[in-house]
Amino acid sequence: MPRSVSGARRRAHVLRVTAVALIFVGFVDLVRGGTVLAPVALVVGYLVLAPLAFLID
Amino acid sequence: MPTAVNETLRPSYRAAAVTAAAVLALYVVTLAPTTAMWDASEYITAAYTLGIPHPPGNPLFVLLGRVASLLPFGNVAFRINLLAAVCSALAAGIWFLVAERVLAQWIEVRWVRRVGAVLAALLSATAFAVWNQSVVNEKVYTVSLAFFAVVSWLTVLWCDDPDGRRADRILLLIAYLIGLGYTNHPAGFLVGPAVATAVLVRRPRTLLRWRLLLGAVFALAVGLTPFAFEPIRAAHHPALNEGDPTGCTDRIGFACTFSDTTVKRLMDNVNRVQYGKPDLSERQAPFSAQMGMWWLYFKWQWLRDPHDGARLLQDFLALIFLSLGIAGGVVHYRRDRASFWFFGPLIGTTTVALVYYMNFKYGASQAPELAGVAREVRDRDYFYLWSYSAWSVWAALGLVATWRFLAERGGPTPRWRTTAPVLVLGVLPLVGNFRAASRAGEWATREWARDVLNSVEPYGILITGGDNDTFPLWYAQEVEGVRPDVTVAVTSLLNTDWYMRGLLRRPAVRYDEAAGPAVYRGKNWPVPTKPIISLTPAELAQVPEYLDVRAPLRFDQGDIHAVIDPRRLEVGVPLRSDLLVLQMLKDNAGVRPFYISRSTAGYAQALGLDAYALTQGLVTKIAPTPITASADTVTVGGLGHVDVSRGLALWKSYRFPAALIKRGDWVDRPSAGIPALYTITALALGQALEQQGRAAEARSLRQQGLDIAEGARITDWFVGAAPPSPAPAAGSDAPRGTPVPARP
Repeated sequence: MPRSVSGARRRAHVLRVTAVALIFVGFVDLVRGGTVLAPVALVVGYLVLAPLAFLID
Repeated sequence: MPTAVNETLRPSYRAAAVTAAAVLALYVVTLAPTTAMWDASEYITAAYTLGIPHPPGNPLFVLLGRVASLLPFGNVAFRINLLAAVCSALAAGIWFLVAERVLAQWIEVRWVRRVGAVLAALLSATAFAVWNQSVVNEKVYTVSLAFFAVVSWLTVLWCDDPDGRRADRILLLIAYLIGLGYTNHPAGFLVGPAVATAVLVRRPRTLLRWRLLLGAVFALAVGLTPFAFEPIRAAHHPALNEGDPTGCTDRIGFACTFSDTTVKRLMDNVNRVQYGKPDLSERQAPFSAQMGMWWLYFKWQWLRDPHDGARLLQDFLALIFLSLGIAGGVVHYRRDRASFWFFGPLIGTTTVALVYYMNFKYGASQAPELAGVAREVRDRDYFYLWSYSAWSVWAALGLVATWRFLAERGGPTPRWRTTAPVLVLGVLPLVGNFRAASRAGEWATREWARDVLNSVEPYGILITGGDNDTFPLWYAQEVEGVRPDVTVAVTSLLNTDWYMRGLLRRPAVRYDEAAGPAVYRGKNWPVPTKPIISLTPAELAQVPEYLDVRAPLRFDQGDIHAVIDPRRLEVGVPLRSDLLVLQMLKDNAGVRPFYISRSTAGYAQALGLDAYALTQGLVTKIAPTPITASADTVTVGGLGHVDVSRGLALWKSYRFPAALIKRGDWVDRPSAGIPALYTITALALGQALEQQGRAAEARSLRQQGLDIAEGARITDWFVGAAPPSPAPAAGSDAPRGTPVPARP
């Protein structure tokens, strides 16, 4: 596998993991009663990282 | 090396971004500086408090709105209004791309395509409902519009090249965004049928690829996960917690969050059970009338004429834009079949199908000559915002087709520049709608909220009736910190099983004398020590939805002896809300100031409390003993007893009149009862002063009242000398699910 393709896949994988992790962090903070970190994490997770994760191969 | 066709199809992302920025600039110039009537205050408050607005709860909007509220400039309402503007500007930029993509199939000249694309963006951005909803965050519809546009663009891209891994990923993303859009508003699913049609027509084999379909279902499900926000957040009991979708009564916990109660309440919220909409087969108005409503609002899009000053021109423009849209659709079908099979069904879904699904009653402004028909409490033009926005794209395509026709008439070389004046049609909504759509400088709603709250004595309980006399008060209290000591209880929500629970949880806040009106200073206001109602949660749950009694009922508490004639109540029998209001009066009479907002249009009288009702500015105080006339308490026809000195002191502190007169218009007629209430108040006070022999003051006050009416353009409501009966100003868009027997 060419190195560039492998790197791109790794980046896409990191993106997916980051999206899931950020959404998880958002919900955890929400459970704790957070009103700042939770919405920011969930918005970035759902509206930025997750769409990119779906799109990038 | 790209082919000529590929070069033609390359999207002008930079030009689209510039167009979106220009639209955003227009919206910022016309942006509301604060809250507005109807649901704006509810949604701004929900976003700010990270709460839950009315069902289905709109969790994605709340999250987005909360993030917007954290912006480091402007006031909270301005920041959240800006969110609406950004979403609509984004949609306009995407409609630019869609239009340019379609035009690329039949217009060879690049600048002509771009002009056509700008027209699509401009028309969609300045159609009245879109513009008016984009300059205040009234609801969640502009976020939905952005989702519509993004999904549309992705589908167009997929239609261009439906094969390969990239195409599959686009489909998965579309499925995810449809799910995510649903968590903003159920309308998120409206694009689904159009996407399905495009897939079916463009590449039907896709539907046989079960792995891809499974992936799409998974992506859709992931998109729906923000609904988990509702039970988690509800368990923290935020200030706004409509539907209370949690089984946790004290604090959040694993068992109560995953309990049957939580699941049921969440599903009731998501499915909007409390609204009790009838089955679709049971039409609330004839389907032809419902399409007539769509057409009425369609006419508003190109020239909003709230005072019927240019009806013929409005009709003419509507026919022009209807024809342009149809022409655009035909051209779209002929020139770009691939994207047509998405966009055509989208137009169909957001017009005929949406009209059928929404199943509205007659519109508030529709067919005024029809008396006695059931009507929506307000104009629902905003529900068709997606329809008019998408139609604008077709209208722009139709306009470009007309331009091309004219340009090619003179010879073999198209004369684009000399025939360009026809494009002025595309600018007409910008010019014609500017005054009505703009909300710049509109402070009146905020001032109304402040005026009402300040009319209530410290620690008072205020009974309100609907959206417009409640939501702005929530906003003032929770966002701006105005008079949080007042307990606002709205009758429409008292009919639900969750609302009273929330009121009982509301923390008591000490009255801030320095921030309150001068009339309450220097007096002793005892801090309440008991909850607003003596019933326990278990007892509350036992209160029936209604009492099936038609005979007069007696209400006795201390010196209050009232006879309630059920026929004077809204539905002819006492509802749960009436019983709870009476219980609150029973528990607080003589202990805590008890008020009924005058926007409820005679609710105190309907409860048989005429003898105990004392008008104090915008509210009616219910006294614990019968009111007797005195030098300062004057009887005014139609209003009963008026507290003259308190009324005058409050009137001088009211800010709404100046805000309204400065604006000089009140576009939304169904909520014009609010300015009317001020006029009635001024006329009544004037009449009371007249009785006291204070003729000059009386004239001045009457003139102020008429100035307000003129500012709201409702002077014709006030012909004759006597103050008219209180106009219903509350405007209830509230739960309709309470089953009550038919009127006898």
